[in-house]
Formats: sequence, structure tokens, C-alpha cells
Amino acid sequence: MKKILITGLIAGCILFVLSYGGLFLGVRFFPGLFVAYDNPLFNSDGSRDVLFYMHAFIISFALSWFWDRFKSLFKGTFMMRGLEFGFVYAVIALLPVMWISFSSLDITFVMVSSWFLYGLVQAIIAGLVFAKINP
Amino acid sequence: MINLLILSITGFSMKNKVNNRDETIKWVISQNSSLSVSGSTNINTFSCVIPSYDRVDTLTVSKNNNYGLVMLSGKIDLSINSFDCHNSGITKQLQKTLNEKQFPILHIRFLSLSSLPAMTRKPEPVTGLVDIEIAGVDKRFEINYRISRDEENVIHLLGSRDLNFSDFKLIPPRKLGGMIQTKDQLTVEFHLKMETI
Repeated sequence: MKKILITGLIAGCILFVLSYGGLFLGVRFFPGLFVAYDNPLFNSDGSRDVLFYMHAFIISFALSWFWDRFKSLFKGTFMMRGLEFGFVYAVIALLPVMWISFSSLDITFVMVSSWFLYGLVQAIIAGLVFAKINP
Repeated sequence: MINLLILSITGFSMKNKVNNRDETIKWVISQNSSLSVSGSTNINTFSCVIPSYDRVDTLTVSKNNNYGLVMLSGKIDLSINSFDCHNSGITKQLQKTLNEKQFPILHIRFLSLSSLPAMTRKPEPVTGLVDIEIAGVDKRFEINYRISRDEENVIHLLGSRDLNFSDFKLIPPRKLGGMIQTKDQLTVEFHLKMETI
């Protein structure tokens, strides 16, 4: 349990910097991709900002537990294990959620695709971290 | 600013002395009148319009020699639901920000003009006071107008003013943990087309 929490925390810190740093740069250099977020579908009063910024840790702790439970199934170098872990998460968790989101919410294909890629990259980074420090 | 002071001090007493005025003109507002609100976020700009005015209202212009002030009375009521930002998401966001569900109407009450315009074809700059009520909050502003009359005797009253969301206790929207932020400042422009009756 301690191992899960520690690796989750480390991965959370790394994802926090990379995810929100990447998002910041995305907004700055590709503003056109974010215009669709000016929509009441997305929280606009700042009341959920803390929850928004906690996401990196929530996904990291969840993936840390998942890694610890199933890490024996991922074979090969740490790079291969991290990549496979990310793809497994994307196919099992992200794809169905993105599918139902796109089919039921007034969001664009570009938006839902960017969420899928964002989650995939997060899971690969987390997988690489787990493969390195909790092999 | 001086107008604002004079109006604040004398507003009520002038109403009572309305019989002393020398001239009274009534302008009926045409349906071709429009209002636009423009603003920006850190990633884009937006411009929202109410392309037509769906009510019949009149403005009364009264010149009072006792005070040398031109009183303008009347108001326009604009439905927040009529805003079109040329993007459904931005339109819905503006309506939500302006608290359309609770306060569906934006009111502009006209109070005064700095001078009685000559009404020529050349737009004449004048200033005037208005009360703007958005989301239940009423605020007084000095507006820069340009007034002219065209060859068909239609009076064009163009007004513009920079406002802030915060003037009306509204919070500009912010998204993605504040990474996308709408700026507080908005520019309101209106173009009233009127005929003398």
C-alpha cells in the first residue's frame, strides 16, 4: 500500500507539471483549439479549480494501484511496459468514456480526440514512472 | 462628470419643473436598431449582437432653459436571449454570464444629453447619461454619442461605452482552472434608428 501511495505521489507530481504545463503551452500557442471551451458546458466560476488541478493526482493514484495489481502482465523493457500500460488504459478506460461523451454531449470531435490523446500521454508517462520505480 | 453631478443634484426637481421646458421632441425607435457587445478572452475575441429591436418605444427629448440641460427620457429593453455571438457556445456562455434565467432583460434608460444636436447629416458628437441595468444591477454611465439625420429623416443615435462585468457584480467566465479567462472589460455599442413623431 505504501509503495502504491509513494509511486502514485511521484507520478502525480510529474503529471501535474507536465499536464498543466502542456495545457498552458497549448492554450498559449494553439488558442484556436480551445475556443470551444467558451461554453456553459464547462465550469466557469472557478468553484471547481481545486478539483481540476487535483486530477493529475487522482489519475496517478488510480493508475498506481492498477499497475501494482497487474504489473506482472506487462513484459519487456521499462519503455515497452510503460507504453503498453498507457495503451491498455486508453483502450479500456478512455475509449469507452470518450465514445459516450462524444455521443451524448455537445462537444466537437477535435475536443474529444484531444482528451483521448491527453489521457493516453498521461497514462504512458505514469506507466514509465511506475515501470522505473515499482518494477 | 459635471452633467452627472447636476443631474444627481437636480434630477428630481427638474422632473417637477417639466412645464418650464421650451422644446419637447419625441423619437420613436425603429426595429432596425441594434446593439452589440464585444469583449475578449486570453485566446480570442467575441462580438455579440442583438440585430433588431422588437419593441416599439419612444425617447423624449426636452430642453430646459432653466438649467441648460437637455433631458432625454425613455428606455429600451433588450432581451438577453436575443444576443447572437455567431458561435452557439459563446452565445450560451454570454447568456449564462449575464444571468439570463433570472434577469432576462437588459435595460438602458436614457437620462440626458450634453446639448441639443443640430440633426444634420454629419454625425455630431454629444455625450449623455444613461442608466444601464444588467443582471438586476443598475449603474449610471456617461455615453459618447454621435447623432445625425439622414436624407430620409431617420435619426441615427450611435452610442458606445466601455463597461466591466464587475460593474454589474458579474464574474467574467474562466475555464480550465483559469487557463482561459475572459477579460473584465466589454464594449457596448448601440445604433438606434429613430423617427420624429
